[in-house]
Amino acid sequence: MDLILPYLATLAIFFFVYNILTWGLNIQFGYAGVLDFTFITFVACGAYFSGVFALGPGQKSTGFEWILGLNWPFPIALVMGALAAGLLGIVIGLIAINRLRSDYMAIVTLATGTVIYGLVSNYTPLFDGFDGLAGLQTPFSQWLNINYNQFTYLWVGFCAVVMVICWFIAQRILNSPLGRTMRAIREDQEAAEAFGKDSVRVRLIAMSMGAVLAGVGGALLMGFIGAFNPAGWTSGETFVVWAALIVGGRGNNWGGVVGSFVVAVLVNEATRYIPPIPGNATLIPTVRNMLIGASLIAVLWLRPEGIIPEARRRFYQLPLLPGRRTPAEGVGSAGS
Amino acid sequence: MPEADLVLRVEHLSHSFGGFKAVDDCTFEIARGSISALIGPNGAGKSTAVGLIAGALKVQSGRVYFDGQDVTRLPAYKMARRGLLRTYQVSREFPLLTVMENLLVPPPDQRGESLLNALLRPSVGRRQDAALASRAVDVLETYGLLPLRDEYAGNLSGGEKRLLELARAEMANAKFMLLDEPMAGINPALIARLDGHIRRLREQAGITFLLVEHNLDVVERICDQVVVMASGRTLAEGSMAELRRNPEVVRAYLGGGLDERAVG
Repeated sequence: MDLILPYLATLAIFFFVYNILTWGLNIQFGYAGVLDFTFITFVACGAYFSGVFALGPGQKSTGFEWILGLNWPFPIALVMGALAAGLLGIVIGLIAINRLRSDYMAIVTLATGTVIYGLVSNYTPLFDGFDGLAGLQTPFSQWLNINYNQFTYLWVGFCAVVMVICWFIAQRILNSPLGRTMRAIREDQEAAEAFGKDSVRVRLIAMSMGAVLAGVGGALLMGFIGAFNPAGWTSGETFVVWAALIVGGRGNNWGGVVGSFVVAVLVNEATRYIPPIPGNATLIPTVRNMLIGASLIAVLWLRPEGIIPEARRRFYQLPLLPGRRTPAEGVGSAGS
Repeated sequence: MPEADLVLRVEHLSHSFGGFKAVDDCTFEIARGSISALIGPNGAGKSTAVGLIAGALKVQSGRVYFDGQDVTRLPAYKMARRGLLRTYQVSREFPLLTVMENLLVPPPDQRGESLLNALLRPSVGRRQDAALASRAVDVLETYGLLPLRDEYAGNLSGGEKRLLELARAEMANAKFMLLDEPMAGINPALIARLDGHIRRLREQAGITFLLVEHNLDVVERICDQVVVMASGRTLAEGSMAELRRNPEVVRAYLGGGLDERAVG
């Protein structure tokens, strides 16, 4: 019991964080059709910036160096990490979206992410290069006297609260006229422009709001693990989130929940606790990646819209003015 | 023609793709409130001219004036906001949005499209949506599409998609509609309905139309003025009756068989 509960709590944290990440990618790709192949860069941005806001100042002499180091309380650092990721979303969005169409845009996001990866892992004054950030005091420890297991349970609750806030952000965008315009641009960008929609502005909003959620998820990981380095955000990680979104179903956030549970939690995270097979240490990670790839192919063949497809918005769900005829009467009176 | 009556003026428009001159010194004017046609053989540069006017293609040389203002360099979405709506040769509905949603996208000045309103004051968008949905019900009824309101637009038939295009443009408060082959591939009964709607919109809302059209029967029936293009340039302007007597037009259009072979 002493082992299983913390284990389940850890999986719950990953589940909640991956939900947030999948919703973030859903805003970018599922709503607005932006092919963001460097999603993990925004996660890293949130993790790093929340880290350097919450950590103390780095010192070159001790071999730990990073920018800022402000000792801010973690919840505020998390917000700063999310904002930094949102800003990076606008920057990468401007590079990728402004002039290019979808497939080229995807290549440019991947290329930009690779440039940033090279910069961050080699230029140590930023986030201590390949060693990365470490030594973050457990969040809330300045106010509460708790041991590590208790902190894990506390973090499950904190992640749940943050996740609910992110759910509302994602749902409100989806159900607003802004979300409708994003989906119209996803369906046919040129036609949306021909109806007066500024597709660059709308896709930049999608890019940066998706990046904000990515940043929140990254900050939650930073707060939980207390360390973050380039080994944690290789480009392969981007495709775990992509696989979760495609398998679960894009364009609706319940699909993201299902996908993040199946792909990210069951396959990607839960299998990390299986002890390595003696003499074949890489077998489990390899099988894990094969499983993710296979689930992606299976879904694209058998159910391309995902386990939970995008919901059709029926007319009775649309608000009518008070006193206006109901849809049923509308059909009856057609031609009047 | 006095300046005030013109809604669109195209001056010396030229455009090449690589080495191919698709539009070459094209000049014409469209009177406000008219229904005009742009005709010409395939490859005459009509669709390119439409793209240039609507801002979907960048103008390489020449000028476009709309409503008395130089709009040569405006991108497509800004042209639409000024009231110039264009449709495409192939229907460009939003396939995974319902018919109803397809009508709710076009209206301009939607306050619910601002991120802050979407996140913090969703009621702003909902209230405006209620008014727009109510108007959309009327428009759908007019086009006979109301029973299909919950259908994915991608599932409509070719003819229904054509009606949807007009309905969407009507929702966008257009002043000028640039329709690229609106009658292509639809049956005669539907053609009659479409041209009825075009005439109704001109009478009710004062919308000016410019149709790229191959069906000369339709052109003769509903258009006041016709512009003929061939090999990228404007060849002639005038009424259909005048153009039939113009030997240059007859020669350019379908190799001389204007009267016998021009239909369809």
